[in-house]
Amino acid sequence: MSGPFSLHNWEAWFSDWSFFASGFLRTLYISLLGLIFTLIIGLVVGILLCGKHKVVLALCRGYMSFFQNTPLVIQVFIYYNVLPKLGIRLGVIVIGVMGLALYTGAYAADIVHSAIKAVPTGQLEAAHSQGFSYLQSMWHVILPQAVKIGLPPMTNQAVNLIKNSSVLAVIAGGELMYCADSWSGSNLIYGPTFVMTGVLYLVICLPISLLARRMEKRSVRNV
Amino acid sequence: MKKLLSFALVLALALVALIPALAEDSADVAAVKARGKLLVGVKADVPNFGYQDLGGEFEGLEIDLAHKLAEVILGDPNAVEFTAVTAKTRGPLLDTGELDMVIATFTIKPDRILQYDFSKPYFIDAIGLLVMKDSGIASFADLAGKTIGVAQSATTKDALQAAATDAGITVNFSEFPTYPDIKAALSSGRIDCFSVDKSILNGYVDDTTVLLPDTFSAQPYGVAVKKGNTGLLSVVDDTIASMRKDGSLDAMVSKWTLPAVDWAKVDEFSVSLWQQAEELANATATPEATATVAP
Amino acid sequence: MFDRWANAFSVVFTPKILLFLGQGLLNTLYIAAVSITLSLIFGTILGLMRNRKDKVLRTVATVYIEIVRNIPLLLFIIAMRFMTRLPPLESGIAALTVFTSAIVAEIVRGGLNSIDKGQWEAATSQGFSTVQTMWYIIIPQAMRRIRSPLISQFVTTIKDTSFCAVVGTYELSFTSKIVAAHRTIVTAEDIIVLYLVVALIYYVINRSFAAIARRERGDAMKGVVR
Repeated sequence: MSGPFSLHNWEAWFSDWSFFASGFLRTLYISLLGLIFTLIIGLVVGILLCGKHKVVLALCRGYMSFFQNTPLVIQVFIYYNVLPKLGIRLGVIVIGVMGLALYTGAYAADIVHSAIKAVPTGQLEAAHSQGFSYLQSMWHVILPQAVKIGLPPMTNQAVNLIKNSSVLAVIAGGELMYCADSWSGSNLIYGPTFVMTGVLYLVICLPISLLARRMEKRSVRNV
Repeated sequence: MKKLLSFALVLALALVALIPALAEDSADVAAVKARGKLLVGVKADVPNFGYQDLGGEFEGLEIDLAHKLAEVILGDPNAVEFTAVTAKTRGPLLDTGELDMVIATFTIKPDRILQYDFSKPYFIDAIGLLVMKDSGIASFADLAGKTIGVAQSATTKDALQAAATDAGITVNFSEFPTYPDIKAALSSGRIDCFSVDKSILNGYVDDTTVLLPDTFSAQPYGVAVKKGNTGLLSVVDDTIASMRKDGSLDAMVSKWTLPAVDWAKVDEFSVSLWQQAEELANATATPEATATVAP
Repeated sequence: MFDRWANAFSVVFTPKILLFLGQGLLNTLYIAAVSITLSLIFGTILGLMRNRKDKVLRTVATVYIEIVRNIPLLLFIIAMRFMTRLPPLESGIAALTVFTSAIVAEIVRGGLNSIDKGQWEAATSQGFSTVQTMWYIIIPQAMRRIRSPLISQFVTTIKDTSFCAVVGTYELSFTSKIVAAHRTIVTAEDIIVLYLVVALIYYVINRSFAAIARRERGDAMKGVVR
């Protein structure tokens, strides 16, 4: 055994690549579902925050405050081990998606809310003067502009979500990080495992980051 | 004049190079002595072996063994610094050199012998099964189709898989990074059984859980050092051998209310373990490996 | 029913357990404080490097930032613990610093870029050198703008220390798991109370941190960038 990055270790990793492939796919699956629900939560809560109803505002702020200030690890641990004691047994994938969506959704709501507020108020008035109802104004005039403003930070959150999917490694979630942990533990081969796991995450996240960067550049030009 | 000087220099260098060979201690032991402290990795959550009740003092059989080794190497039983390790972290911390040795319910296995240098066993345990009292599970056979929680990097999974195949049942495994995670998963019903060495399970038995009578796969514990630290290894082996001879090891075992060890059996087992390790090493010999001569 | 909850409170709020959790909390704060300080320094350097005209510096910084930003923190934590000689707390600090520096670098870069080009022009017209412009005009303004995202990120850093629990570091999350597995914590109510307390501790710490950091300048704007 000569060093953690020996040829033997690399060969061993590549011969078991299908194990990591399944983890990779599961990461993709959970991240995708998580993203969809994050967007839903972010949109709903973000728009609600624009309203005036005091109780609704308090509830939204409370939700965002709690989920932004407690660790995802603790949240997931509670879903996994504490909820069953209250009679709620959820599957690992459900917990993954739900945990990621609730956590990232809190940040997404902030982004949606700020993006909507950033659209000049004149837009809403102009829409009204053209005969649009509130909902129509939102849908056709405000939201499209808000989307353009909010897209870069939102893609940032998307990348965060994919990275945070690794938290499932702690509750036997079967995604990429869990596979890396499990395999390196059983085979005592660390070097290639960590490098290739990093590469696999890069494969998923880097394109999104680069896309966000390009969008940012374009939106700056259009301002 | 120049020639004389360079000759003297070469001679001096040669003598200096000889010193390590003349010295009594090998490099690894010398390093420990120079530091003045023995760095030992131990468990913190296994009662009677390595236990630290919520941040208190470390105590247990393995702690006492560490003190004894410190006495032998450094002359002071208290010249030890303990680091709490888990099944996952104990191996890597040896490799990085952060620890001199690991005495942490580390089971000796043929493939592990290829990775680390193990002493001869100081104790032998077996794998046990912990279930919830109200689960109705009474034996291994009842676990058919159920999920067993194990620790990452522990030998448990392989041993149980083999036992399951023998018994003709299929079981599922969930791996967790630390024992508290597995215990939490057991009590919340995520897994049906928590399995690891019996001695470790004892730390997690409470009013709601019960140990099943089944045991598997003898688990001999050895002190592990980094591969190649043969100096330290021989000190450890000698100490354990002499402790066995004068009965102090048996006294330690009974002090911690652990079952007495059948040393004859342990020796038999050890011989076969190291033999298996050699066979394994020869079997996986690649052209690259034969180029780097084995120590 | 209430007596079960009352019992749970009495089981969790024992001196031994609270002390143990307290030690975990201290470690969490230690790891977070050092990581935040170090990543502020390295992150700012990286952010400045990224903005320079010098192609070498820019490429090095960009490559580092892009790679680190797109890999989960957990991987760094596990890798640092298993492949370096650093003791548990310090390896956690190293991993957090490496990871957070990249994010701080992006925040710094965003702050620098948001300063109007006119500021540069005005400064040069007044005879300021590049360094002087940066030091007296640009950086003070940029610092004000990135306050909020930085605070938000450092709150996240405090939360991120919880990942160190995976490699057995005795910070708050790991100590709370050990307590949860302790023989005195048995009923559902015990565990619920324990975890609510732990979540509350994190919540209070993070909110206080954010409040104190913001109050220094009376800035009430909420950050959007993570």
